[in-house]
Amino acid sequence: MAILPEALAAALEVMLALLLLLMALACLVDRYLRRACRSFVCFAVLMALTWWQLRAPWLAAVEAVLGALLTGFSLFFALGFGAHHRLPRRDTLPGASPSGVRSWLLPLTWWFMAAAASLLLVDDVGTRLSEALAVLGPLALVGLAIIGLGLWGFVRHRHLLRRLLAFNVLGSGIFLVLAEVAGPRIEAQALILTGLIVALFGSLLGASLIRRLFILDGRLALGSGTGGKE
Amino acid sequence: MSGAWLPVATLATSLLAATLIFALPERAWLARTSLNLGAALIKLGLVGWMIWGLHRGLEYAVEFPVAAGVSFVLRADALGIMFAGLSSLLWLFTTLYAIGYLEDSPNRKRFFGFFSLCVASTLGISLAGNLFTFLIFYEMLTLSTYPLVVHRGTRKALAAGSVYLRYTLSGGLALLLGVVSLHVLAGDIRFGEREILADLGAEWYPILVGLFVVMILGLGVKTALVPLHGWLPRAMVAPAPVSALLHAVAVVKAGAFGIVRLVYDVYGIELSYQLWLLHGLVAISALTILYASLRALAQQELKARLAFSTVSQVSYIVLGVGLFGPLSTVAALSHLLHQGLMKATLFFCAGNYAEELGIHRIDELDGAGWRMPLTSLAFTVGALGMIGLPPTVGFISKWYLGLGAVEAGMPWLIAVLAASSLLNAAYFLPILQRLWFRPGPAHGQGEWPDERRLGRLETSGWLLWPTLATAAFSLLAGFLASMPFSPLEWATRVASQEYLL
Amino acid sequence: MNALAVLGDEALHLTPSLWAVVWLIVWGPLLLGLVALYFPPHRMLTAAAAYLPVMAATGWLVATIAVSGPRHASLSLGELTLTWYLDGLAILLLLLTQTVLMASAVFAVGYCRTAELPSRPAAWLWPLLGGLSSGLTLIWIAADLLSLYVGLELMGLCAVALMLLPGEAEALAAGMRYLLYALVGSLAWLLGVSLLLGAWGRLDLAGLAAVAEPGAVTTLAVALLSAGLLLKASIFPLHAWLAPVHGAAWIPVSAVHAALVIKASFVILLKLWLLLAPGQMAAAWLLGGLGSLAVLWGGILAWRAQGLKELVAFSTVGQLGYLMLAFPLLIGTSEAVAALAWRGTWLHLAGHALAKAAMFMAVGSLVLSTGRSKLVELAGTSRRLPLPLLVFGLAAVTLMGLPPSAGFTAKWLLLQAAIRGEQWLWIGVLVLGTMLTAAYLFRMFRHSFDEQAPHLTYRRLPLGMDMMALLLALAALALGLVADWPLELLWPWGGRT
Repeated sequence: MAILPEALAAALEVMLALLLLLMALACLVDRYLRRACRSFVCFAVLMALTWWQLRAPWLAAVEAVLGALLTGFSLFFALGFGAHHRLPRRDTLPGASPSGVRSWLLPLTWWFMAAAASLLLVDDVGTRLSEALAVLGPLALVGLAIIGLGLWGFVRHRHLLRRLLAFNVLGSGIFLVLAEVAGPRIEAQALILTGLIVALFGSLLGASLIRRLFILDGRLALGSGTGGKE
Repeated sequence: MSGAWLPVATLATSLLAATLIFALPERAWLARTSLNLGAALIKLGLVGWMIWGLHRGLEYAVEFPVAAGVSFVLRADALGIMFAGLSSLLWLFTTLYAIGYLEDSPNRKRFFGFFSLCVASTLGISLAGNLFTFLIFYEMLTLSTYPLVVHRGTRKALAAGSVYLRYTLSGGLALLLGVVSLHVLAGDIRFGEREILADLGAEWYPILVGLFVVMILGLGVKTALVPLHGWLPRAMVAPAPVSALLHAVAVVKAGAFGIVRLVYDVYGIELSYQLWLLHGLVAISALTILYASLRALAQQELKARLAFSTVSQVSYIVLGVGLFGPLSTVAALSHLLHQGLMKATLFFCAGNYAEELGIHRIDELDGAGWRMPLTSLAFTVGALGMIGLPPTVGFISKWYLGLGAVEAGMPWLIAVLAASSLLNAAYFLPILQRLWFRPGPAHGQGEWPDERRLGRLETSGWLLWPTLATAAFSLLAGFLASMPFSPLEWATRVASQEYLL
Repeated sequence: MNALAVLGDEALHLTPSLWAVVWLIVWGPLLLGLVALYFPPHRMLTAAAAYLPVMAATGWLVATIAVSGPRHASLSLGELTLTWYLDGLAILLLLLTQTVLMASAVFAVGYCRTAELPSRPAAWLWPLLGGLSSGLTLIWIAADLLSLYVGLELMGLCAVALMLLPGEAEALAAGMRYLLYALVGSLAWLLGVSLLLGAWGRLDLAGLAAVAEPGAVTTLAVALLSAGLLLKASIFPLHAWLAPVHGAAWIPVSAVHAALVIKASFVILLKLWLLLAPGQMAAAWLLGGLGSLAVLWGGILAWRAQGLKELVAFSTVGQLGYLMLAFPLLIGTSEAVAALAWRGTWLHLAGHALAKAAMFMAVGSLVLSTGRSKLVELAGTSRRLPLPLLVFGLAAVTLMGLPPSAGFTAKWLLLQAAIRGEQWLWIGVLVLGTMLTAAYLFRMFRHSFDEQAPHLTYRRLPLGMDMMALLLALAALALGLVADWPLELLWPWGGRT
């Protein structure tokens, strides 16, 4: 923000970025589902703060309402909070086997493509990789890291709720990269706004599905096809 | 373009009949029958009108663009109308016959609906004015005959249907590839426009030869050229009117007609001769004639023997096309009609024996001539025609074929013709001998396999009269061969156009 | 190639009356759907009558654009500008969409009644179909990546929700998988879009085509966009989700999904490639190769399928493969080849959409009236259920590419393009694909013509259901003969004249 000294703003940005990364990690590795969901809500609040910090107050408000509040609500709904049929507290499913090359190759390619392209965007004049990394800014770097984490979670986890969480984290990572590479353009904000709405509806649908599937026959994961994109 | 509507109306008659038949309920026998016969009569009238118009020098053509660079063209020319005339005439009789044959059997609505679609396709083939249109109807014919072949719904019929499809669909694909390539090479070739391909220049000739072979592979399947004939004998499981249809009118003839078109109207007789394509046709048809006659000799089932006889007889048409000269062209074209009349008669007779007496095998025919004299008379007429005894129509075809062979400088082919005639005699005369000269159940010895009294006459009138009519027409075509509008006279007219233009 | 831009400048803007028509077409179905949520239609005639204004508006729009040429529209939302572009392609796709949707909606009325679907989920069918229609319309007319994104997501979410309506565990599990894939697909798309925005600073297609230079960023962005779209279009090898989803869904939903939803992703993909990757021949060949594998693998899967719906669903995988041949035939080829391939591709798309919708409806009728869903259990149905089988047969003619049908004319054009472009590989693919298609579709007839099977008891269905399917199937056939008019509307495209 304008009133803050520049150094402080930069420090705040770095701190925010690190916190985001931490929360994403917490949300994805935690096998205790309620705690993971709580971490996600914190993550979404941090995202809202980030938008505020990137001078997009509208996005911040939308993120707070859609991302933190409503998505959080739908996640807890999926857990069966306050209802009779509750999902087990802990995800005891083994992770998807890492032996399937196909299921790892595609997300990895995906991530490398994203990273390479983001680097190339600032690397137009041919600076070296280390310089480019410096130019890219902490938020974009963290965005890329979060994308990586999200992909990992999406491929590795079999529990449907955790995959839904991974999808949301992945989406946020992409929003961060988008905001960084596209700058404060109105189009970028419109894209992120649309993305947020889509993510919310996706989460709502997903949450009600998880709930119905669990109630119908106690299913917590899809039978097959737990691979990444395929 | 005075009568552009005539070809369209002819085609529409059958299509409309098919649609209405599909829409009628299964029980509506009277409505369906009158629709069938009405459509067949109207169509015969329209075709007759066009024949008269062509005779007076009118032209019937209609076309519209379908997609970038191709048009849908319907055009009645002398060659096409000949085939159209044959199919609409035989159609009338086959429909009559089928009505009697399928009395009280299930799925008649489906049968007659596809039957009408079949005639629409055949007419489309004969009136097609370019390869694209020809292809459309050629494939439509494949599809609309499938339900007829598997009509009985027995395991054997279904298996035969699969074989039929495997052959004809692959053939259709080969034809499609050839036609598309020709289209890329030379544009939209209309039948009757000469020398487009010849003008391409010598560097394209190898490709043209290749395409010709591919397209003959496609057409040869329906024509049942050896070794592409495998489906035809198997398709014998179909009801008798369908066999008559496959062998005499529609499918086999569509293939032969396609070869005629390809040689005369697409490549041109000169170019085909120059590229040695005709020699290839002669070789393969001579092979087919002899091989199929030998196979026919070995068959004990009446319909199977007739089927192999078809394979052999249709190749006379191809042989006539392959010989370079006007006389052989006359032979080919007139045989297109003659064979249709004779083969339809023979299959009707086979159907009559099966329906009335339950006879399927040749050795069950002993003395049947005395139980069913009219049918057997018709059979005799057809069989003698196939052998080629004068004054039947078969003789006329073979006579001109022989003259053509001499004219083309291939007198050795007369040996092939003689051999095939001997073989024809060898597989037809024993049947005639059994019919007339062997004592059987009619003389109180043994019993017919499954006798049913279908009518006051020797069998049901629906079955008998069409049989007699086609037999009479095949006799007339022989006796009156030199009259105007006889098959021979019309074939001569077409041939003179091919060689003089 | 960049003439979307050129044409865009020359094209007229929308007049107010045309704007009204466009709004009616975009939002009309959604509004109708919302009304139907509270007052579900019970008669097919009601549904048809209610939809008539939208159809009429579509017809009027098509006629206007066909006569007066492409129109350009921009919509300002504050600082944000959305651009729409109505050319021959867009309006023909619109016409196709509304035709299939109307037929499916009318069919659905009968389906809901005879299948005795639970009334609450059944009522939700309508607004979701409406949303689907709005999303599709937006996709056809969108000329910037943001509008496309909105349309794609609206369509995608509605499609997933539609798949969930049956509420059985199987449907839900299949729907969950579809949801996850669709969401990840959209994220890939979003990342690609953001890279393009970052690199070139704009989202309108015409502008992007003008400023974007081939390079690493563009390539990566297109690769990401394509990955997302290929997943949504269920192109081989990303097709695994399709068959289970269709197996569990309601018939009218499957019909719309296979006919339109999957095509939307393909259409976007093709548009983007022509604009952003006009010279990427190797990549185009890669897509063509994927398409070929889809043709073969989809054909084999359909051939081995036991269930009716499964067969039709796998056939979609194979048929989409033909569409993918558009890439190698359009990109980096000569004008004459591209002209043929362009026409062939759209004709195939339209023919397949009509025929596949008809085929799903026919299958629905068969399953509903026999109560059986396996192929072998249909023995002897041809005697009792001639109409659905006829529809299936007519649709099969188009899918096999036999004449006279849109499929045949399209195959003719594609073959011609392949021969002219001397790309012999695709000829082999087209031929093999035709044979495979014939092989798996005729299995159906082989069973149904069997007369020696025990007879089942049949349930009578309203005639209107089969008539709708018949109309679609006949439209697919007729399109093959009167293809000249629509195909000429598609031309010229993208600067090639």
